[in-house]
Amino acid sequence: MDPSAANNPELLRFLNEEQQRVMMNEAVAKLTSVCWDKCVTSAPGSKFSPSEYSCLTHCAKRYADMSMLIIRSTQSKK
Amino acid sequence: MDSYSSSSPPMGASPSPEALMEQIQAQLAEAYAKELIETMREKCFDKCITKPGSSLSSGESSCISRCVDRYLEATGIISRSLFSQQRR
Repeated sequence: MDPSAANNPELLRFLNEEQQRVMMNEAVAKLTSVCWDKCVTSAPGSKFSPSEYSCLTHCAKRYADMSMLIIRSTQSKK
Repeated sequence: MDSYSSSSPPMGASPSPEALMEQIQAQLAEAYAKELIETMREKCFDKCITKPGSSLSSGESSCISRCVDRYLEATGIISRSLFSQQRR
């Protein structure tokens, strides 16, 4: 890349924002994959069943809770 | 996903910052789409093609199109559940 790009504040701001967006998209993609496997157990229908829907809405938050628990329990073992 | 207001880049020898940004965005969008399609290929093959036959049956084809719709919907559900509280 043109080294002068590093001195362009507008471009730097843009790159930071895009990087954040990519990280958010990656988190969503990862969780969607995990939660799809967990929550969608039969062949996909023309809409989600109520239980699939509620499983999907809770799945991401519970995954985050679990991550915190794992981090805490591994740190306390150090 | 919201779009940026984009101005058409001026034609020049070295790319303007605007052109560079548009190029970066286009490449990121392409990478995102490729990854999503690859994921849906795996998920929907798992769900819909349980026993590969000599050709795709109509049941399998309609399962695949429902699967793609549901996967995109699931992506939206997950995204909202992750970011609904911390929206800027």
